[in-house]
Amino acid sequence: MSEATARSVAGTTRATAQSARALALAGVAALTLSYTSVLYYVADVTRGAETMLAVLAGSLLLGILLGRYVGTTVAGGVALSVAITGSVGYVLSIPPDQRALLFTTRVVTDTIALLTGLSVLRLTNAGVWALGVAPAPIIVSWYLAVRRRYVWSVVAGGTALSLLVLTGDAGPTTTLTGVIGGATAVGVGDVERAGGPTPQFDAVVAVVAAMVVVTASLSAAAGGATGTPFGDGGESPTVESTVVEAEDNIRILGSISLSTDVQFEISAARGNYWQTAAYDRYTGQGWVRTGETTAIEGTRAGPPGSARPLRQEVTAQTDLGSVPGAWRPVNVEGAAVRSTQQGGFRPETRIAANTTYTVRSRIPQYTTAQLRRAGTDYPDDVTATYAGLPGSTPDRVSERATEVTANASTPYDRAVAIERYLEEEKRYSLDVESPDGPIADSFLFEMDAGYCTYYATTMVTMLRSQGVPARFVVGYTTGEQVGDDRYRVRGLNSHAWVQVYFPDVGWVRFDPTPAGPREAAEERQIRQTEGNGTESGPNSTGPAEGSDTDVVNLTPTTPVPDPNVTATVGNEPATPSVAGADDGSDELSLPDLPSNRTVAVWAVTLAGLLAVGRRTGALGRVRTAVALGRQSRSAPDADAIRAYDRLETLFELRYRPRAAGETPRTYVSTLVADGAEEAALSVVDAYEQARHGDGVDKTTADDVVATVDRFVDEWSLGDRLGR
Amino acid sequence: MSDGRQAGNDTAQPTPEDPLGVSEAAATIERIVENVEQVIVGNHDAIEDILIVALARSHLLLEDVPGVGKTMLARAVATSVDCSFKRIQFTPDLLPTDVTGVNVYNQKHQTFEFQPGPVFANVALADEINRAPPKTQAALLEAMGERQVTVDGETRDLPEPFVVIATQNDVETGQTYELPLAEVDRFMKKIRLGYPNEADETELLGRVAGDHPIRSLSAVADAVEVQRARRTVASVDVREPVRNYVSRLAAHTRDHAKLGVSPRGAIALVRASQARAVLTERSFVTPDDVQSEIESVWAHRIRSGDRARDGAEVVEAAIEAVPVE
Repeated sequence: MSEATARSVAGTTRATAQSARALALAGVAALTLSYTSVLYYVADVTRGAETMLAVLAGSLLLGILLGRYVGTTVAGGVALSVAITGSVGYVLSIPPDQRALLFTTRVVTDTIALLTGLSVLRLTNAGVWALGVAPAPIIVSWYLAVRRRYVWSVVAGGTALSLLVLTGDAGPTTTLTGVIGGATAVGVGDVERAGGPTPQFDAVVAVVAAMVVVTASLSAAAGGATGTPFGDGGESPTVESTVVEAEDNIRILGSISLSTDVQFEISAARGNYWQTAAYDRYTGQGWVRTGETTAIEGTRAGPPGSARPLRQEVTAQTDLGSVPGAWRPVNVEGAAVRSTQQGGFRPETRIAANTTYTVRSRIPQYTTAQLRRAGTDYPDDVTATYAGLPGSTPDRVSERATEVTANASTPYDRAVAIERYLEEEKRYSLDVESPDGPIADSFLFEMDAGYCTYYATTMVTMLRSQGVPARFVVGYTTGEQVGDDRYRVRGLNSHAWVQVYFPDVGWVRFDPTPAGPREAAEERQIRQTEGNGTESGPNSTGPAEGSDTDVVNLTPTTPVPDPNVTATVGNEPATPSVAGADDGSDELSLPDLPSNRTVAVWAVTLAGLLAVGRRTGALGRVRTAVALGRQSRSAPDADAIRAYDRLETLFELRYRPRAAGETPRTYVSTLVADGAEEAALSVVDAYEQARHGDGVDKTTADDVVATVDRFVDEWSLGDRLGR
Repeated sequence: MSDGRQAGNDTAQPTPEDPLGVSEAAATIERIVENVEQVIVGNHDAIEDILIVALARSHLLLEDVPGVGKTMLARAVATSVDCSFKRIQFTPDLLPTDVTGVNVYNQKHQTFEFQPGPVFANVALADEINRAPPKTQAALLEAMGERQVTVDGETRDLPEPFVVIATQNDVETGQTYELPLAEVDRFMKKIRLGYPNEADETELLGRVAGDHPIRSLSAVADAVEVQRARRTVASVDVREPVRNYVSRLAAHTRDHAKLGVSPRGAIALVRASQARAVLTERSFVTPDDVQSEIESVWAHRIRSGDRARDGAEVVEAAIEAVPVE
């Protein structure tokens, strides 16, 4: 009998270890999934998805096989040679002229740049880079995981994930998955090796949950509205935040608002769109500008075709992180700038308010006929850079584009057809839900309204699907004319549009966003702010006066924060909302369903709380409190035993739980010595008699049940309230 | 026939086969303990341990420094129950026959006569058992296990009750033969008396100043009562929850020590718990009985495999870890 017990105990331990191993491997798998998903995404954007899948599967298999059959030295050698092969492959894939730059200090600076937030997607050969990097961490981490070295396995996988976190390519959800996986593997791996009991799982779960929730809430505090689990309800970002900074990445967001702050004033002979940046690589979720900036000497070349010069004098009204100017800028005076691979300028440092600088541009000159004639003889580098789409782009986008452009025979006609199609089919609205899938696909097939970035992204995607090189451009519209040849440009003038490449002409602007509704929204915004300023007068203490922080939210679902503005709105004949708000204003607006990520974080929080509850015994106390009540009666022995169980439950709530190795008698007599009622001992007597002796008679059972009933009642009335 | 049986027939109507009632047995034991306490100061637990071992038909190993009253304790218990008491001082030159007895040629009758050795007693004190060579130890251990001795091919039963109290000196380990584990396992309990505390020692010095109280100690029970109490102990209930508790404890020691308790050890624990139940006037064993007996019954049977951890610690860990259900 004792041997059987020993065997079953050993069996339990083994079962615990086995389930721990399964969990630990699942953790490593989650970690692997997190960074490989990023690498796969990169490969997909650069059209290398199939190769990447093969490489990932091969590496995984190799790692597991090595772990099974090969010693540390050989495996280390294999992993090292794979890593070296990957690096060499990446170097060879770079065009020879660029490769010359690669060695010496360039490697170091590139690495530092990557580690300080340069997205992998900005590398010219991001796909090859991903293919080269992927195998080593997978092989190493799975080799170690198979050998039960979970900590080192997680170190290997974690390094890869950390690199991608530092480059900014791993989003919060991905990072969370990886971190949870890693922590689980390390924590549960420990349990497995110790062969320990289940309570340690609680600790692991609690710690992991704490990590997740702390990470999530910290990044919500630090990272602002974008990309955090709790960021959904945050302040709306603005188009201008990307336009003004002309960042290297643009993510397409949900609802946005417009600011009326004046950004700069520009003196030019003619109005134009003031471009700040162009983007070449479409990721499905946003845009990336690849390549490095270079120093410029003197004046750059203008567009390939004929052009006429335009001189612009720009006076910054706030700090500017970009150099707005008409396409195509060839020279900047009064500010230190560098040239981007896309033909634009970036300032070396931020341009301070009240700085005036001069931009000289050469505006391309063309006729419609010229564009129609331009043909499709694109330079190779243009096709390579500006005609690609991520492999994940659904086919229906290209099918729709083919449909729309069925009657168009030239790239120009195709562009016009698509532009017209979008203007007619989609409604302009600043209040949209950020879609889950690829932007262009969602905008075409699932959304009926959007703003400029949606229109522009969709148009570029459709054009590229038809083989027409096109790119996504951000900047400002002309702005408000405030004098002869003088324009005042505000945050709300920020805009996104499309440039299409025509041989011998260069980049030509198309704007698929319906101009009417957009300008209406902008004008209304200006009128509101100015009208408000005059109404409130110089003595007003309203927050609108300074208007520095006065970001008026046009989103109809959120209340306007400034009471003065609301009053003004009341006087306005038109509603203060953008087009389309009418649909929502009458209806009862239902709360939006939380995003998947929010649900996930809440689930993790709940799991953590449960684990903590179990660990601290709070859960048990709640459960037992429910079980306290009256008892139904049966045989005297069962009654006496049940009475003791209730007594123990009650004492657990009132004093402390019984320790594992503590006998009922020791437990109760200790508590009686500490002040519990002595009658409790009679319950133990009856319990022992019923459980270990020849049983109790009905009178004894009745007595102890009554005693416990009395205990429960007394506690309910008095002490429970007192506690 | 044995001395015990004759005594039983002389003094009382009931036979040694009739069990005492539980409360009667408890009262008898109480009486014996109190009686012994007239002589032995401050060793209540040790007196109970000896009686439990006696009632559970087993033997006791006392490990201690000399002069703490081991002999006096054994003698006082024997006197209190009106039993014969013999002391064997184990020395390196002690022969097995010095323990068991020897056939001596009687010239007058021209026959061999058996001269019983000191082991033929109700209470045999084997003093410093680890000083004798293994062969002599084995002779005693056989007597303990079989309750009989075999000399020159002839087997003779030992008296009933028969309890061996062996002592071990664990300080002077020179010239000793440590008892093998298999033999230590035959002792139900191993206890230490320890030095008396200040008050007890003062009391003790007061008592021995005049005539030693052992001289005036009288019997408060007899061998038949002891045997009847043994019957009572044997009839104590050990239900499944307690049996299961013991086997889970045993499994725990086996999982957490190089050598855990043997099934013999588990059986000994159940027997000792039965006796403990009688001491507390109960006709069934509870986990509390198991817990009060476990350390003295199990600690000496366990080898932890770790010098820093003795058997008592393994047992203590088992008590704490194995849930009482």
